[in-house]
Amino acid sequence: MVLAAIVGATAIAAALGLGEGDVRRLTAHGPWPQSPARDPSNAASGNAAAIALGHRLFFDPRLSVNGAVACATCHVPERGWTDGRARAVGLTQVERNTPTILDVALHRWFSWDGKADSLWSQSLKPIVDPREMGASAAHVAKLVRSDAALACLHAKAFGAPRDRAAVEPERALVHAGKALAAFMETVRSGRAPFDDFRDALARGDAEAAARYPAAARRGATLFLKSDCHVCHIGPAFTNGEFHDVGVPFALGGGRVDAGRFEGVKRVRADRFNLLGPWNDDRSGVAAVKTRHVEATHASFGQFKTPSLRNLLHTAPYMHDGRYATLREVVRHYSELDMERIHTHGEQLLRPLKLSPSEIDDLVAFLESLTDPTAARMPARPSISGC
Amino acid sequence: MIRAAAVVAGLVASVAIAEACEPPSGFTPRGRLESAGVVVLFRTLPPVIALGRHFSVEAVVCGDGTPPALTRVDARMPEHRHGMNYRPTLASKGGGRYVADGLMFHMPGRWELSFDVEGGGRRTRLATDVVID
Ligand code: HEC
Ligand code: HEC
Ligand SMILES: [Cu+2]
Repeated sequence: MVLAAIVGATAIAAALGLGEGDVRRLTAHGPWPQSPARDPSNAASGNAAAIALGHRLFFDPRLSVNGAVACATCHVPERGWTDGRARAVGLTQVERNTPTILDVALHRWFSWDGKADSLWSQSLKPIVDPREMGASAAHVAKLVRSDAALACLHAKAFGAPRDRAAVEPERALVHAGKALAAFMETVRSGRAPFDDFRDALARGDAEAAARYPAAARRGATLFLKSDCHVCHIGPAFTNGEFHDVGVPFALGGGRVDAGRFEGVKRVRADRFNLLGPWNDDRSGVAAVKTRHVEATHASFGQFKTPSLRNLLHTAPYMHDGRYATLREVVRHYSELDMERIHTHGEQLLRPLKLSPSEIDDLVAFLESLTDPTAARMPARPSISGC
Repeated sequence: MIRAAAVVAGLVASVAIAEACEPPSGFTPRGRLESAGVVVLFRTLPPVIALGRHFSVEAVVCGDGTPPALTRVDARMPEHRHGMNYRPTLASKGGGRYVADGLMFHMPGRWELSFDVEGGGRRTRLATDVVID
């Protein structure tokens, strides 16, 4: 059995011109899709009424102070759950690029700086952020109480409060976050051309593997050879941690975006973190990361490694949206300015000095990680009785 | 138990430390490190360290004379020049036994797992390689 598998891997590598170990390493970028586990910190995770409530809230601009901004204003389904802008605009300008929420349940930390340690606590932040939706816990409590459909779903998802007016604002805000998280857990991408290639490699099916375009296949080898997979690892192509890849973090006016350095401080000080009173996980396991996370001077200017799935839907790229195309991103890695990488930083990257055809190949590989059907409006779930 | 054994061994002959440092029953060490009269036996929980998953390290420390104390468990990737993004907490369970919680290896490659041991006015660092695929 084992011998057959090894022979298979060697044979298929030879047939496709892949290097030793490439088959094993490429296979590690799957299988896809992954089924995320229930979030133990959110008792509403997986709850049908909570998912329906979260779906409504996500598209409801009344969640904002002026009734004009919804989550979906920036996370637009048809744009791969992003907004197509370099930097987001809510009530005012935001300093960072809007990330997709596709497959967001697989992440360990949320936001570019990881300032949230759960999907539900991340979801509260834009509601009360004056730049994004500018509302308050009291505003959310009032909305959920005053709208019959929302109130009905809320009662089903979280248990009916004896006196509706008694839902304290903070609890209403947390419930909104947990319902939004339950909904976003269902926003997942499907298979990309790469996944068929990956599965063919795993089965030892050289014929099926050969259907993957040659340029993308060369790009895949280049991706491994360039050590991209050290950070962009696993089925979602991210290690879920933070790095400095030489994207400038000056904001102008003498200000900087300190990235993970601030993110760690914020998550540790966050009243809604997993060490706080709203974590539903009694085992303590979910909070291990928060209890132990540490900022060092290397954290300065580090940002979360993004997933590389569905990039064709989510331009522009990087935490500040500075690159409009994947070609520009690849050129960034090819011409890397080592001066820009923080001196306390890790040593992982070097300018790749790729030829134009190598850049084409790497771009072809990155493009093959997109599920063409991922940028669409999901059906609205209905819950009987509400 | 372990500490008593180590002390006795220390009285008899310090060269015998290596034999005297026995794992407690039910403790199957993943590794044994020895330097300058200090022995560290350790295992991890879970036994297989997975990329991007938190794990704990359980250690038993023995040494010459007064039992040495384990003061820090840490890890680095020397080639990449970075450490972990998490600071482990260390708790003494008595009898030279310790548990470090909250370690996590976030990248594939070679990690150096280190144990700082202090005793008799000396600090010794014992380290071992762990390769994550
Ligand atoms: C003004 C535009 C805007 C609005 C409105 C908005 N977001 Fe976001 N969202 C962003 C930006 C920008 C980030 C990155 C934040 C950062 O790094 O500081 C983000 C990050 C996130 C993330 C983390 C994604 C990741 O990969 O870490 C989630 C989840 C999320 N938003 C959900 C929501 C929900 C739910 C709402 C509504 C309650 C919402 N967003 C409203 C722009 C917006
Ligand atoms: C040291 C870890 C690391 C390595 C190695 C690495 N990346 Fe990245 N990658 C990141 C981080 C972190 C970001 C976000 C940086 C930012 O926004 O400041 C990123 C961003 C990207 C993006 C933009 C995605 C988006 O949604 O904005 C692409 C595409 C990308 N990397 C591809 C690659 C390729 C191709 C390679 C190999 C040539 C590579 N990366 C090597 C960590 C890494
Ligand atoms: Cu490393």
